Amino acid sequence: MAYDLQLTNVYKTYDNGTPAVIDFNLDVEKGEFIAFLGPSGCGKSTTLRMISGFETITSGDLMIRGKRVNDQLPEKRPTSMIFQNYALFPHMNVRQNVSFGLEVKKMPRAEMNRKVDQILEKLGLSDIAGFPTSRLSGGQRQRIALARSLVVEPDILLLDEPLGALDANLRKSIQNELKLLQRDLGITFVFVTHAQSEALALSDRIIVMNAGRIEQISPPRELYTRPSSQFVARFIGSNTILPGTVLEQTDGIVVLQTAFGPLAGANLAGIDAHAGRAMSIILPAEAVDLLPADMPEQEMRAGFGTNMIPCTIDRLQIVGHIMHMDVRFDDGQKIKVEGHVDKYRDRLKAGGKAYVAWKSAKATVIDSQEA
Amino acid sequence: MESKIMKPVLAVYVGLFILFLYGPFIVLGIISFQQGPEGGPQFPIIEWSTYWYRHLFGMVPPSRIAPLPVGDALIRSLTLAFMTMVTATVLGVMAAQAFRKHFRGASVVFYLIVLGMMVPGVLTGLGISLLSNNVIGIDRNWWSTAFVAHVVYTFPFAFLVMLAILNRFDASVEEASWSLGVSPITTFRKVTFPLIFPGVLSAMLFAFTLSFDEFPRTLFASGRDQTLPLAIYGTFSVEIHPNIFAFGVLTTLFSFALLAVYGILMALSVRRAKRMAMQEDIA
Repeated sequence: MAYDLQLTNVYKTYDNGTPAVIDFNLDVEKGEFIAFLGPSGCGKSTTLRMISGFETITSGDLMIRGKRVNDQLPEKRPTSMIFQNYALFPHMNVRQNVSFGLEVKKMPRAEMNRKVDQILEKLGLSDIAGFPTSRLSGGQRQRIALARSLVVEPDILLLDEPLGALDANLRKSIQNELKLLQRDLGITFVFVTHAQSEALALSDRIIVMNAGRIEQISPPRELYTRPSSQFVARFIGSNTILPGTVLEQTDGIVVLQTAFGPLAGANLAGIDAHAGRAMSIILPAEAVDLLPADMPEQEMRAGFGTNMIPCTIDRLQIVGHIMHMDVRFDDGQKIKVEGHVDKYRDRLKAGGKAYVAWKSAKATVIDSQEA
Repeated sequence: MESKIMKPVLAVYVGLFILFLYGPFIVLGIISFQQGPEGGPQFPIIEWSTYWYRHLFGMVPPSRIAPLPVGDALIRSLTLAFMTMVTATVLGVMAAQAFRKHFRGASVVFYLIVLGMMVPGVLTGLGISLLSNNVIGIDRNWWSTAFVAHVVYTFPFAFLVMLAILNRFDASVEEASWSLGVSPITTFRKVTFPLIFPGVLSAMLFAFTLSFDEFPRTLFASGRDQTLPLAIYGTFSVEIHPNIFAFGVLTTLFSFALLAVYGILMALSVRRAKRMAMQEDIA
């Protein structure tokens, strides 16, 4: 099938020779909600600006709906962009802002008014249509920016950190609105953010970028539980990284010799895990079970094999129905574990000994070296 | 302590400063109300009257004092100032717009433009006069050679004003417009220009006032027909009557009116800038 958006071997190198984006490959289907996630300077905004046409592409192909648009000017592309500061036109009121794109296209007035009314209504802006934009709140300005971009009916909506300027509560509610809106419209959204919570909550797939390269492309849950690189393991979620060397591999489960003895995880990437190779176990916090030290060893072994690390419980805290547990390995490494209160209540006590344990299939092994 | 000495010293300094700044104008203003036609440019005032103002507009019976020969010169100066204003502002906006993108040799071009206001006016005037007469072989006129001299002089001012305005301009507003499918030309017309308009007006006023009272370049470059500053200077060499002071008062009032417009526009621009800044603060 034809993709809505396709980037193939896209490179961006600035005039002074600094590479900004390196070998970017991505196929996006129509109606997908895609997030570019990464620390500042990782190339995510640059990639978005290449899609919108504000940045030139040094090499590679950018296709929108099967048509190569590398050399098309921004105003000719079927994309529309939402800016972090919204970039509303300060000399126009709300309605003028929204109708601007249609007005210059010389659309018949009746049709234009109908479309503008429709989108104002959809975004709850009808009541403030006559207001100057300067007096409105961040959330309202955000919605004006959305209305202005959506009314021209782009194939792809690009959003550059659109929630960065809002306070936490507003961010949550706009986040939900955005998701509903996108489902409703069925158009492709490409969203840039440095906040993983936004990316995880909103997108169908997340592209994690670092230093101009794609680190991982995964649906949110997979990204959270199955990071495929050292960078992603550190950047996303809260993972414990346990380095070691390969002892053996059976049925996709690799056993590593580590400071805590033999420990195992799943080799999902199909890495050639020959004996002696330096690899790490990535242990997501939610894969961890905390076992009281007085549990019969046989029972433990039956459930978790050798995947057990002795630890000391530093702190227990109950927030609602979640138990937050801070524990410390014997080598001083601290990790956080959380779980349902019912599972842990009365079995653990602060200051006591316990075991961090996991099922091999829930942890992932990856190379110890940064790619 | 220190402020006990400093305060009066500074007060005297400020007083002197204001005196030198406004003294000539006040004296000029007073003498312009001298009685006429016998009264000359001297103190004390023999009798207060508006004779010289009426004399300017030919509303008094003919006397031995000829009307100030400034009518044609005034029209010429206004026309020249207007032509200069339009040309310099258009060039200034375009050049400043070009400087928003870094290009090869930008700094050299920058200094070449700014040179126009740094080089002594006498040199420019003389140079243009020699160039037109001896090298190209065309006549000097206020609307040709002097016009070029005025544009060379005022263009840098307009350019610098626009550079400052565009420097604080939030380019994402333009990108937003492009991304809505609006061509760069329409974007400039409907988004950029309305937002920088107060700045454009400042540049226009700069160019207009600078051209209106330009002397050294015009002296050499204008040829036979004189502009207003030259014509006024010409009357000094004969005999001075208070009609010239009356004329001075009127032109000064005109300048003040221009300044008032400028002030209002600046206030508007600041307000808009604040609005833009608010938009950025939220970001």
